[in-house]
Amino acid sequence: MHIVVCMKQVPRDNSVKINSDLSINADGIEKIINLFDEYAIEEGLAWNEKHGGKLTVLSMGIDEWVEQMRRALAMGATDSLLLKDASFANLDTLAAAKVVAAAIKKLGDVDLVFCGRNSTDDESGAFAPALARALGWAQLTYVGKVLEVDPAGKKVTAERHLETVIETVTASLPAVVSVIKDINSPRYPSLLKIKKVAKIQPPVWTAADLGVSGLSAAATISSRVPPPPRPSGEIIDGPDAAAKVRKLVDKLLENQII
Amino acid sequence: MAGVLVYIEQVGGDVAAVSRELMGKGQELAASLGGPLNALVVGGDVAGLANQAVALGAATVYTVSDASLATYTTDGHVAAAIAAVGAAQPALMLASASFQMRDFGAALAADLDAGLAVDVTDLKVDGGAVSAVRPSHGGNVINTYSFAAGRPVVALVRKQSFAEAAGGASGGTVTSLPLPATTMRTQVNNVAPKTGAVNLTDAAIIVSGGRGLSDKDNYYKLIPPLAEALGGAYGASRAIVDAGWVPYEHQVGQTGKTVSPKLYVAAGVSGAIQHLAGMRTSRNIVAINKDPEAPMFRVATFGLVGDVNEVLPLLTAELRQRLGR
Repeated sequence: MHIVVCMKQVPRDNSVKINSDLSINADGIEKIINLFDEYAIEEGLAWNEKHGGKLTVLSMGIDEWVEQMRRALAMGATDSLLLKDASFANLDTLAAAKVVAAAIKKLGDVDLVFCGRNSTDDESGAFAPALARALGWAQLTYVGKVLEVDPAGKKVTAERHLETVIETVTASLPAVVSVIKDINSPRYPSLLKIKKVAKIQPPVWTAADLGVSGLSAAATISSRVPPPPRPSGEIIDGPDAAAKVRKLVDKLLENQII
Repeated sequence: MAGVLVYIEQVGGDVAAVSRELMGKGQELAASLGGPLNALVVGGDVAGLANQAVALGAATVYTVSDASLATYTTDGHVAAAIAAVGAAQPALMLASASFQMRDFGAALAADLDAGLAVDVTDLKVDGGAVSAVRPSHGGNVINTYSFAAGRPVVALVRKQSFAEAAGGASGGTVTSLPLPATTMRTQVNNVAPKTGAVNLTDAAIIVSGGRGLSDKDNYYKLIPPLAEALGGAYGASRAIVDAGWVPYEHQVGQTGKTVSPKLYVAAGVSGAIQHLAGMRTSRNIVAINKDPEAPMFRVATFGLVGDVNEVLPLLTAELRQRLGR
């Protein structure tokens, strides 16, 4: 079977700045594979090992992201694909999903797509559902356990871990599955494998290759600011821990916090 | 396109608190948009919820009722919503930002070619145009979205962002719509409550522990009793979840849960940026740490510099005595 894993590069932490053109400035922050996407890659690898075939790691991004794509290749992905075009830069999540859907359609033989539940920078979780709808496929989001992938019977069964319940759902293949953090333990690629993939250049497909044009963002950012500072707090003083604790409880009661 | 359509979620047969909040804000937004506030109830049995939605101020409650809709599926509920959007032609559709509603709302927006904003904390209408405020990057960036004219907007709203509708309204009508023919690509085999579920996102008080507690035994000796004395839930930093002290379910932060309780007690949690991302909007924060330079003190309402191993037993005992627990 052919599994695609969608991945994105993100800054390791979110101590980002805002540029004057409202773009995000993550200069000086280490870049990593979006954490949830690492779990998606591991899940894809596990089912690829079981059923054979191809595992393509796919990013809509820029050349800089290739380094993270190579990490996925070192983990065991068999193929990679970068979607890159100047016209992709300012798309919203829904339009980006249409671009990725066009690529998956062009690949032609894809049975299953794994994504992370959301990126740790944008945090919307809209990509996987938007991709599924653009493809006209089933979606299983917030998956904490994939119970069965049955390429012959064309179905996938998984547990969706929601806030207070766990749903067990069977979807027809092809399908898009988004995964949460505790679904598996992503493997560390060996140094040997990292060296082996160090020079791989993923094939690049542009808007023209995909036949997508005239995409526009329905949602655009009109303002971007840092959060308002929290009012400055109070350090509780006292001669010893017991006195400080009493004073703290006084404050919590006085301010009707408890 | 005119007015607002609110997707009503239910808890135990009653309209969920977050839906009452959306009806409250929806009333104001609909007036600014010069259209009606309508509601949508989708499910197996919709009559009770529809009547409640009328009382919450809906001009028209659209209902789509079918045995296949009793349990949520993306295909079924999106098809029902598209039928209601066709009938109501809203400029703005509101739902909550729960996992299920993100599954639903993003799919709906994709099908409608709508503008989408997720985890919205504020909404405005200016000159007939909707704008939505949503944090990203762990709360370090506050974005305001505007939307392309002529396309509807789907906003998935963070709970407790708005005041609930007062209720007691009357005069609204209920319109039943048939479920359009739709291919159901998923089948729900089972829905089970999470065992020992900690719904941190709903807790009014959370006590979190971190590496400052030294080991797993100390975490369980000190944190749950303090949470219990406060009538709250207990959380954890990523460091100690990754170390296997506490299940992931309890993790607060960028890759765990985002919480905004009335009181957040951070005990031995230094305040890494990933952790702050998940709790910095808490209304009150108490930081307890022996390191006075810990970043958590910079966001704390009250800071107590001290060793958690000494402070927490004293605090738990004091609270039990003063609160009579």
